[in-house]
Amino acid sequence: MAALSWIKRLDLQRSVIYFGFLAIFLFFAATLHDDGFLTTRNLTNIVLQTAPATIMAIGLVFALSAGEIDLSFGSIVAVSALAAAVAMQNGPMVFGVIAGLGAGVLIGAFNGVLVAYLRLPSFLVTLATLGLFAGIARSMTDLRSIPVINDTFTGFFGSGKLLGVPSLVIWTVAAVAAGHVLYRHSRFGAHVLAVGDNARAAQVSGIKVPRIRLMVLTLCGATAGLAGLLYAGRLQAAKYTLGESDLMTVIAAVIVGGTALNGGKGSIIGALLGSLMMGMLNNGLILMGLKVSDQMIVRGVIILVAVAVSLRDTRR
Amino acid sequence: MSLVKHTLAILALLGLVASAGAETIGPGGEEATPSSTVVVGDEKVAMVQAKRYSAALLWHDQSDFVNAVTAGASDEFERLGIEVVAVTSAGFDAAKQRSDIETALAKNPDIILSLPLDPVTSAAAFEEAKEAGVALTFLSNLPAGYEHPKDYAAIVTDDLFQMGKQAADALAEAMGGEGTVGWIFHDAAYYVTNQRDNAFKTTIENDHPNISIVAEQGIADPARAEEIANAMLLKHPDLGGIYVTWAGPAEGVLAALRANGNDSTKIVTLDLSEPIALDMVRGGNVAAIVADEAYELGRAMAASAVLDLVGEEVPPFVVAPAITVKAANVVEGWKRSLNIDPPASLTSN
Repeated sequence: MAALSWIKRLDLQRSVIYFGFLAIFLFFAATLHDDGFLTTRNLTNIVLQTAPATIMAIGLVFALSAGEIDLSFGSIVAVSALAAAVAMQNGPMVFGVIAGLGAGVLIGAFNGVLVAYLRLPSFLVTLATLGLFAGIARSMTDLRSIPVINDTFTGFFGSGKLLGVPSLVIWTVAAVAAGHVLYRHSRFGAHVLAVGDNARAAQVSGIKVPRIRLMVLTLCGATAGLAGLLYAGRLQAAKYTLGESDLMTVIAAVIVGGTALNGGKGSIIGALLGSLMMGMLNNGLILMGLKVSDQMIVRGVIILVAVAVSLRDTRR
Repeated sequence: MSLVKHTLAILALLGLVASAGAETIGPGGEEATPSSTVVVGDEKVAMVQAKRYSAALLWHDQSDFVNAVTAGASDEFERLGIEVVAVTSAGFDAAKQRSDIETALAKNPDIILSLPLDPVTSAAAFEEAKEAGVALTFLSNLPAGYEHPKDYAAIVTDDLFQMGKQAADALAEAMGGEGTVGWIFHDAAYYVTNQRDNAFKTTIENDHPNISIVAEQGIADPARAEEIANAMLLKHPDLGGIYVTWAGPAEGVLAALRANGNDSTKIVTLDLSEPIALDMVRGGNVAAIVADEAYELGRAMAASAVLDLVGEEVPPFVVAPAITVKAANVVEGWKRSLNIDPPASLTSN
């Protein structure tokens, strides 16, 4: 009986990501233990491969929690990575970091100004800027890939290690910790949730709603900019296609992680687990030796089930 | 710096190939070796089978072409007792290609067959596999700075020059050896299409003196093919033929000819496509399609990797032949190129 009442008290929507993550992990651990799934190298690879998506997911949790959305982050990733790579062709690492992060912040702020002060819907603004900056990324280097040959940069943002821990793992942990503290334990986080829950009530209670909207979209741009730097470091090159295929993965990770599409509710830790779950699915389905089309079908069905369970409870 | 130098060297060579090319040349200027000479002989089968090698096929995308390459490689691997432990598609995403390589390495494959997405981003992506001593065989592209035979077993690709040449010869035959031609080429620095397009032009200019190229137009976006063809036909309404760089834009050119009520201008293009082939078997504008032998590409990739593993010398640059597909040989051509039967629409017409 005690167990039953515990289950009844359980918040299904908040817990689905933990159960889903654990179930998928145990399934692959059981079926693929002879295929290298549980090796430290493979599990580390999953964290490395998902680092950029996890960091983008943190920005998106803030945007969705404030009742906004950013669809343009894939293009921001490409522009930031290319800006960093081009800046480092003739300058030190710091130029690349400033150019990459700066591009992300500026594009995010551009989205934010249109949404917050011109009162345009973020869905349409960022859909338009998705195309706009994808075009700019293509024209920046005439579709050419730009190599990144600054070893300090590639170590810091890509393949390096600190005390034996890969730099991408450190970036992931640092970003998730900072994001979680900002989201759960700061006035800004509380204001974001208040705006997403009921913007009018937030306004009446003295919260500067447009400023919060500007800030969440700028934060989204900044996280996409950082993701661009991580891609450039990891691939030791930048290309206009970087980030193009991340949109659905990141949105799915965030929703599966317990963030509401219509604002007022979210979780940074959930987004991290959602992102790791996506990476684990990609990894496990390849190791199972499935055909590519079968991998896509299975992944689609699992994401659909996870999103359905997450959202069903949100609507209650 | 070495990465930049190598990239520039490859780009410079591609430029040379594009301007000079009388035959297909590798991305590092290597001479082409016919794929038919790259064979794991029956006498080696038992020895290779005993080694119980494994292979991963890490593709750039999914398509009929990739399916046929996979089939060719898988059949060869099966003959040699080699297990295929992973098959992936990067969807043209360089970051996904890197992740796919890392994931596949967890299964410790002895062989990786792959199409590197581009020389620059692929250099770091394949580094771990290279360091692990995996036999790497690349399709059509080479990561910057990789050296043969130290870093990879072979590059295998289409006989690109022959594809362009055969397209020129087929168009000339359809036009009765005389007339004017429009040349729609791929307007991008891409090794595969650049060689094919230039081979067509060179062949028309050198081998068909009574045919002249009167209109040249580059295309970067296949969706613009119809308007490009319309503009070309407006200036040159009596064009005898049009070469289109590949089948996707050729569909737009065909639409333009139909809209103009033009049934005299002939089209040749490269790579199989059902709508283009359907027009051809119905006696429309399309005179011929030149295709590659994708299944043979896969077989040759697998054979190159195995020969490298058993310590035999493998040529650095291997090419598979091209096939001219016309209405009369569409069934056989489809089968030889993609290793599947042609769509029912082509055989019921």
